[in-house]
Amino acid sequence: MTRRRRWTAALVALSLVFAASCGSDDSSDEAGGGGGTGDGDSDLTIGFLYVGPKDDFGYNQAAYEGSLAVEAAFPEATILQAENVPETAEAEAAMQDMIDRGADIIFATSFGHLEFAANMAEQNPDVVFLHQGGLVGDDVLDNLGTYFGTVYEPVYTAGVAAGMATETDKLGYVYAFPIPQTLANINAFQLGAASVNPDVETIAISTGSWCDPGTQATATQSLLDQGVDVITQHQDCTKTIIEATEAAGAMSVGYHFDASELAPEGWLTGSEWDWDDLFVQIVQTIVDGDFVGSEFNGDFRVGLQTGDNPFVQSPFGPLVDADTQALIEEIEAGFIDGGSPFAGPVLDQDGEIVWADGEQPTYDEVETMDFFVIGVIGRTD
Amino acid sequence: MTATTPMPGDVGADPHGHTPADLPDGATPPDPIIIEEDMPRTWPDRLRSWSRLAAALVGAIGIFSAFLVARGADPIVVFEAMWTSAFGDANKLGETLIRATPLLLAALAVAVPAKAGLFNIGGEGQLVLGAIGAVLVAYSLGEETNGVLTLTLMAVGGAVAGGLWAAIPALLKYFTDTSEAIVSLLLNYVAVIVLAWLVFEPLKDPMSTGQAYSRPLAANQNLPIIWGNRVHLGVVIAVVAAVAVWLALRGTRWGFALKVLGGNPEAARRAGLKVGLLGFSALAIGGALAGLGGMLHVSGLENRLRPDLMVGYGYIGFLAAWLARHDPLKSIGAAVLLGAIAVGGTGLKISAGLSGAAVNVLMALVLLAVLGWSRPAPKALR
Repeated sequence: MTRRRRWTAALVALSLVFAASCGSDDSSDEAGGGGGTGDGDSDLTIGFLYVGPKDDFGYNQAAYEGSLAVEAAFPEATILQAENVPETAEAEAAMQDMIDRGADIIFATSFGHLEFAANMAEQNPDVVFLHQGGLVGDDVLDNLGTYFGTVYEPVYTAGVAAGMATETDKLGYVYAFPIPQTLANINAFQLGAASVNPDVETIAISTGSWCDPGTQATATQSLLDQGVDVITQHQDCTKTIIEATEAAGAMSVGYHFDASELAPEGWLTGSEWDWDDLFVQIVQTIVDGDFVGSEFNGDFRVGLQTGDNPFVQSPFGPLVDADTQALIEEIEAGFIDGGSPFAGPVLDQDGEIVWADGEQPTYDEVETMDFFVIGVIGRTD
Repeated sequence: MTATTPMPGDVGADPHGHTPADLPDGATPPDPIIIEEDMPRTWPDRLRSWSRLAAALVGAIGIFSAFLVARGADPIVVFEAMWTSAFGDANKLGETLIRATPLLLAALAVAVPAKAGLFNIGGEGQLVLGAIGAVLVAYSLGEETNGVLTLTLMAVGGAVAGGLWAAIPALLKYFTDTSEAIVSLLLNYVAVIVLAWLVFEPLKDPMSTGQAYSRPLAANQNLPIIWGNRVHLGVVIAVVAAVAVWLALRGTRWGFALKVLGGNPEAARRAGLKVGLLGFSALAIGGALAGLGGMLHVSGLENRLRPDLMVGYGYIGFLAAWLARHDPLKSIGAAVLLGAIAVGGTGLKISAGLSGAAVNVLMALVLLAVLGWSRPAPKALR
């Protein structure tokens, strides 16, 4: 009896550890030399932290591919990779580990890593910290900066495709947290759809996590049950939602990464990161010793108005006809000329005017968005 | 020392007059649930048992190496990277100790009820509740209160919250005869949901711009940093707690009664012990220890509540308790070992071309090795 009891306990313990870890099934590798031994004479070492796995068909995979571009552009550099770094103090430990392995530059790529990157920047003035998507304001340390694209521009045009394609006039949006970036995306999606289909509405559901496939599946099913026939998302890992949507015969709009192979029937379009040039440009600026006071030493935002948006439209699926594609190109041209997805009139959920006819927010103003536009079903708090 | 004084009527005393406390450090740790721990031990016995342990650990490392090779990694590189991450320099050692702190308290939360033959698998939830309790106390005291008083009350708040959470399975066990193992386990999920609700709704930081976390603790609500940038006083408090638990179990009537209950509940009942109350106290005190662990983690390190504040700590603490055979002092070593493996996972991620989750395989192998090493039960019990 005692033996059986002990082994039962051991089994319980083991299964718990595996259960605890399967939620964060991670893998990682070092793109640079093996075992931190470095390769070549240069001592340039660049670390990349991801909140999820590098093969998530999403945010982390896109950033990882950016790191590969850096590796290709700086073949003498050692690249350190750390995946599944949680948005807790463990992120500081991972950054410290990279610094102890010689890191000169650290890319902290998840929104929730900002606080920890800022702490580490203060403690390590010789290491440059880049954060993906956060805001540090004007009064910034000399070794800290954030970068991001105007994600909502291609999301707006994807909304146009969704607005044309929907038959039920109901779109679904699965998101993680109501941060300004996400609210801007959901609003842009609804506004894009409504620009071609005034009856359309977008139901927004929060999962409370950047990547929780279980909750994602539930949220997707709930949207489908409400009659939604196009589903998009603001999640790091996009696979589960796209596969579930495809299996239900509904249409998908991707995010972060070209996942069209997962939805050969229902893929409309999406938007995806192309970090290669921007990452290389940032690293080059630091290597040249020009970082302090540069555009990257602060909140760097790039969009269609200011240059090449690192966030680009994904390929179109079979359901998007040539007319719609032409319309989308036309809208893009308008953004390049200084237009905005949030060109007034924009009304909030209560019907109050936020930006009147003729007004539109700057990139900076969009970054602090805290409301849903009319037509979005959901709450922001 | 009281711990070495045989108690009258010590059912655990063996025919040779040894009590478990007479065993020198490093001897086979006593197993709380079974009586075989008090069987006679001789030096050849110990030698055999130690060589079995060494063989088992070498076996565990060997199997893990095979796993690494199968995944295309060089075991030497991996072990070196893990060692560097866990013990490479003062910073790394500090990180290991920080990680071990909540693990140790979670292990104690398993060890105390185990003395009474009870399974507490709810350490994870009790850690979470401890963190919540501590933060709520901090918020209600405000930033003006004296630091020592604040931290003391936060510790009490965390311990009470963790203890009350553990009292739920205890009460259900004694009033409705449900399994404390299952109830405490399931309450982990409830605790995480309660935490998520708090940080998404009432406690959400108004400055969080949509992120789900509570507002930060004030400086006087943080445990003092005692070493380097990150090592906080909680590391010491955890060790003190382990020693206190060890003393309480060895040297008090309560600790002795728990052991009697764990050894043979029927005998305990017939001997007039208040079995229900004892079991309740063991679970509640276990929960309070885990609650203290949650307080130390949030006050010393995390600084605010987040949804994934304590993910995995309770379960790894459960492993630590089993590694240490529920011995409070050995739990210190087990927590440091598992903390080191967890921190080593960072190095494994960064340098070894491998999944960070691979460390879970190593933890499991070490546990199996140590359990497998346990000396065979005496013939009478087989």
